[in-house]
Amino acid sequence: MHRWIMALFVTLWLAGCSEPPWQTKDISGLMPPLAFELVDENGKDVNADQFLGKSTLLFFSFTHCPDVCPTTLARLDAATQRMDEAARDDIQVLFVSVDPRRDDAETLREYTDAFGPQFIGLTGDKAALDELTRRYRVTYGYGEEDSEGNYDVSHSSAVFAFNDQGEARLLIRDSDPMEAVVADLERLASGA
Amino acid sequence: MSLTPHASLPRLAKRWCWAFLLLIATPGTVAAAELEVNEARLRLLPGDLPAAGYFTLTNTSEKGVTLTGADSPAFGNVTMHRTVNQDGITSMQPVAQLELAAGEQIEFAPGGYHLMLMKRTRPLVVSDDIEVNLHFAGEQRQRVTFRAVAPTAQ
Ligand SMILES: [Cu+2]
Repeated sequence: MHRWIMALFVTLWLAGCSEPPWQTKDISGLMPPLAFELVDENGKDVNADQFLGKSTLLFFSFTHCPDVCPTTLARLDAATQRMDEAARDDIQVLFVSVDPRRDDAETLREYTDAFGPQFIGLTGDKAALDELTRRYRVTYGYGEEDSEGNYDVSHSSAVFAFNDQGEARLLIRDSDPMEAVVADLERLASGA
Repeated sequence: MSLTPHASLPRLAKRWCWAFLLLIATPGTVAAAELEVNEARLRLLPGDLPAAGYFTLTNTSEKGVTLTGADSPAFGNVTMHRTVNQDGITSMQPVAQLELAAGEQIEFAPGGYHLMLMKRTRPLVVSDDIEVNLHFAGEQRQRVTFRAVAPTAQ
């Protein structure tokens, strides 16, 4: 009798009565839905509502970042390349620059174009960026300028993932295995 | 004194001759041949945004060496950096020098140590070969050819 119930339970579980857990960090209900007012890579004012209808990956970054930022973008590119085409088309990556002083619309556009059509550059003034980073409980800051005016920008390295209705779902980190990222993005794209 | 070996020397002997001359010319330092550099690549970004240089450096000598920096004729400014992550916030720290014990290997790889190359002196495109000189303590230099790779290269 016990074994029979167990078998039924497993069958139902496999059939999808209970969703398997996400493989990257589940932030459903822990982070607020997607909301912002920023400027896009064409210099136009945009808000989060205009990006609903697709799954959204939100990433704080800056273009004068040789190492970790392109590494994260390259990983997201590789992950989406491994998804089937329909699922891939459902994913958009919002690259939010927290360095508006150097990242004007043209720099952002050229930068995101180098990674692929699913990458969209956004930025804003200090007030807009502060509001957005506070909303997702991350910080950013500027390092000391060298004699030539170069400076580092500290920022959150994780990627926030939202479903097509803008509800927070996942926090994806560079340390997450590629298989886990691909599996979760596919599930996100399928409407989870 | 001329450093040019006799023209009739076979190729291999010529190379050993050079290595020997280099050894006696730089007393107290390790010959460049005893440092192995692999997978040297340079990830380009659009425009004149800073590029990242990655490679694996192996000290195959019997002595410790100290990497102190780099330069490149293709860039006006090359520095060594390390990306650090503290409580989910990432930033870059300058690296003044890196010591490698005998036999030790160190990786310059995404998310960790990297060369940051700024101010291009000429236009660069993917698959270009770019010369970079690694600097070591004791005035030692090692010339390495880096292959330019796309922004999406991992
Ligand atoms: Cu750096």
